[in-house]
Amino acid sequence: MNKKEYLKDKSWLLAIKIVAYIIILLILLAFKVNKEATLAISLVYIVGMMIELAIDYYRKKTFYNNFKEKLEKLDQKYLITELLDDPSFVEGKILTNSLYEINKSMIEKINEYKIKTQDFKEYVELWIHEVKLPVSSLTLMLHNRKSEENKKLQEQLARLDNYLEQILYYVRSENAEKDYLITSINLAKVISNVALKNKDILLEKKINLMVSDVNIDVLTDSKWLEFIINQIIDNSIKYSKEKNAYIKIVAKEEDDRVDLAIYDNGIGIKKEDLPRVFEKTYTGTNGRSSKNSTGMGLYIVKKLCERLNHKISIKSVEKEFTCVKISFIKNNYYQIVKERGEG
Amino acid sequence: MQKIKIIEDDLSIASELKEMLENAGYIVDITEDFSTVLEQLKKQKPSLILLDINLPKINGEILLQQIRKEMNTPIIMVTSKNSEVDEVLSMSYGADDYITKPYNPTILLLRIGAVLKRSNRTDKPQFYRDLEVIPQKGILKTEKIEIVLTKNEMIIFLHLLQNINKIVTRDELMTDLWNNSEYINDNALTVNISRLRSKLKVIGYQDVIETRKGQGYILYE
Repeated sequence: MNKKEYLKDKSWLLAIKIVAYIIILLILLAFKVNKEATLAISLVYIVGMMIELAIDYYRKKTFYNNFKEKLEKLDQKYLITELLDDPSFVEGKILTNSLYEINKSMIEKINEYKIKTQDFKEYVELWIHEVKLPVSSLTLMLHNRKSEENKKLQEQLARLDNYLEQILYYVRSENAEKDYLITSINLAKVISNVALKNKDILLEKKINLMVSDVNIDVLTDSKWLEFIINQIIDNSIKYSKEKNAYIKIVAKEEDDRVDLAIYDNGIGIKKEDLPRVFEKTYTGTNGRSSKNSTGMGLYIVKKLCERLNHKISIKSVEKEFTCVKISFIKNNYYQIVKERGEG
Repeated sequence: MQKIKIIEDDLSIASELKEMLENAGYIVDITEDFSTVLEQLKKQKPSLILLDINLPKINGEILLQQIRKEMNTPIIMVTSKNSEVDEVLSMSYGADDYITKPYNPTILLLRIGAVLKRSNRTDKPQFYRDLEVIPQKGILKTEKIEIVLTKNEMIIFLHLLQNINKIVTRDELMTDLWNNSEYINDNALTVNISRLRSKLKVIGYQDVIETRKGQGYILYE
């Protein structure tokens, strides 16, 4: 707020004051008041008016300029109410009080949604755990009553379980609360779990799995990582070639990180699809042609990687290969503690 | 005979699990009353406990702590709670393994076998007829002769030996191999078995592994 703006805002008031002054002058003239007295009254009137304006201008200027400045600097604008000084004029008081009220009601509303989302998330998790019981039961039944149809039924159960995992990790990745636990995990163990999970389909589709140099510890949540690798392998299987298909998993330790590469010689991804594969519900040409793609797998994978602070990238040449790389950052502090412990 | 106690409230899972474990040669007891689990365990003295986390009346993790105060029977947590926190907690309370539902039944059997083996570890050497089996070195030994098996051949031989006189399916062998990070394919399994056979033949154990068409293999005592 500057003087010009202020005076423009007060132009009606000024106009009225000037009209009032002219009327006073006319009255003084009509009563034939002498010049000295007229001058004195004018002086008092004009100086009074100026002082009044100056004080009012100063008070508002301090408050509003301060207000605007803080608002601009704030990242979370709604926190402004915490930073305001108490204004010394009535409009300012109305403004700050209103802001407090508005903020409070907004926060209440947001909390309401937060609680609702949290409840929903908890229910979905509970529900998934409930559904896993009949799935386990069915798995055991199939094992106990061997039949010709066994493999087919198991495959469908595996699909069902995979979709259940997807929704579970979708909910977990969207949740603002931290529900992962970072510990030092051996990559070989996680990969072994994923391999066993996909063993039947890999053998049936005659996809060779080659795993090397994965006996490395990384900092991650093993369950989340298992889901991540499983989704990537699942894609490799889905989009594999008919003949001589293979999946290669290799880890490499660098100074500041560990890189895990999952490479397949599958049908690859079109160049124009590649930048968008991590987007939500983006299925691309491959997904659209195979029809049972939700476009959620890699999106959830990306989200989980972000939460865990792993970098994920994808390279592909259509009809040749796809390679997904996950980088685990080494924690320096952790390294120091470990070295001290060993030394 | 090894006794396994199942502490699981889903009746369908518990009874299927019982059937599976009995088929694998274990004696199995299902829990019906969850308020007296500790007393039951003290009386029955099982060799291994399969414990769920979501139980009526009591939380499996708390029960795990209570059991650990009283006895050191091996415990495998079998649960649909698949978060890292639950696993780390359970392991810190003294569980021997943690498996999430739904699990591959063959893997569960392998894990049970591994935990039991760890708990009654004896330095008693393992024998097949008069062949001494030394898995760590990958060696089969008689008084006169010694043959070296590859890692894969040893896994296959041990699996057959543990299920001696019983049919072992190709899938079970494959699961055991993959469980040991040997991700081989069907052809390689066939090759490995025939190599194992010819090695056994060399030291005079001809035709001890029989192929049952469409079913699997048997190692005869």
